[in-house]
Amino acid sequence: MEKEALIEKINTVLSEEFEVEVSEMTPEADIKETLQLDSLSLVDMVALIDSEFGVKIKGTELVQVKTFGALYDFVHERM
Amino acid sequence: MTTQPLLTGSELFKLIPQRAPIVMVDTFFRADDECADTGLHVESSNIFCRDGELCEPGVIEHIAQSAAAFAGYKPYTLGEEPKLGFIGEVKKCKIVRLPRVGEFMHTQLKIVGEAAGITLIAAEVYVDEETIATCQMKIFIQA
Repeated sequence: MEKEALIEKINTVLSEEFEVEVSEMTPEADIKETLQLDSLSLVDMVALIDSEFGVKIKGTELVQVKTFGALYDFVHERM
Repeated sequence: MTTQPLLTGSELFKLIPQRAPIVMVDTFFRADDECADTGLHVESSNIFCRDGELCEPGVIEHIAQSAAAFAGYKPYTLGEEPKLGFIGEVKKCKIVRLPRVGEFMHTQLKIVGEAAGITLIAAEVYVDEETIATCQMKIFIQA
């Protein structure tokens, strides 16, 4: 999948799951703040990325995936 | 699921903290790093049974205790005491029909996500080949 198409799909599934406008998901935006994730709902995002894209984000890797830009890169590199 | 169970009846007490009359899992078939299989024979003496059926809270409690048994299995194999676990959330719960007295509920659990110490487990409950309930639970296991 081309990276632009991947970004669009990631934004779409996250927008639908967490009810946040796609326009708020800029590459430099903080994921937890934008999606309003707490410690309980963070796992929902991890499960969603796994189910939609087949990419697992381990706990140790999660600390590196703070922004949407980092998430796009992380998923794109592992698909 | 036709394999022989690993643990049955009171042997499950090695995996879960619950005791009679609120023990809602009586069979533990298997577990690996991502999946587990458990079961429960629905008996009329079960405190969650009404009018010959296991009512909704009983189905959810069975899933919760199945998740607890799953979490307790690895420490058990290492000769350790089960760790205390908490349910953080029950979501996407769908009960198609209630299991009846005399039926055996077979539950398959799968870890679908882990983050920040929280594990998201997906559960599917069968009677024979029929799916009667599905749900997801977030579990926090105390270190």
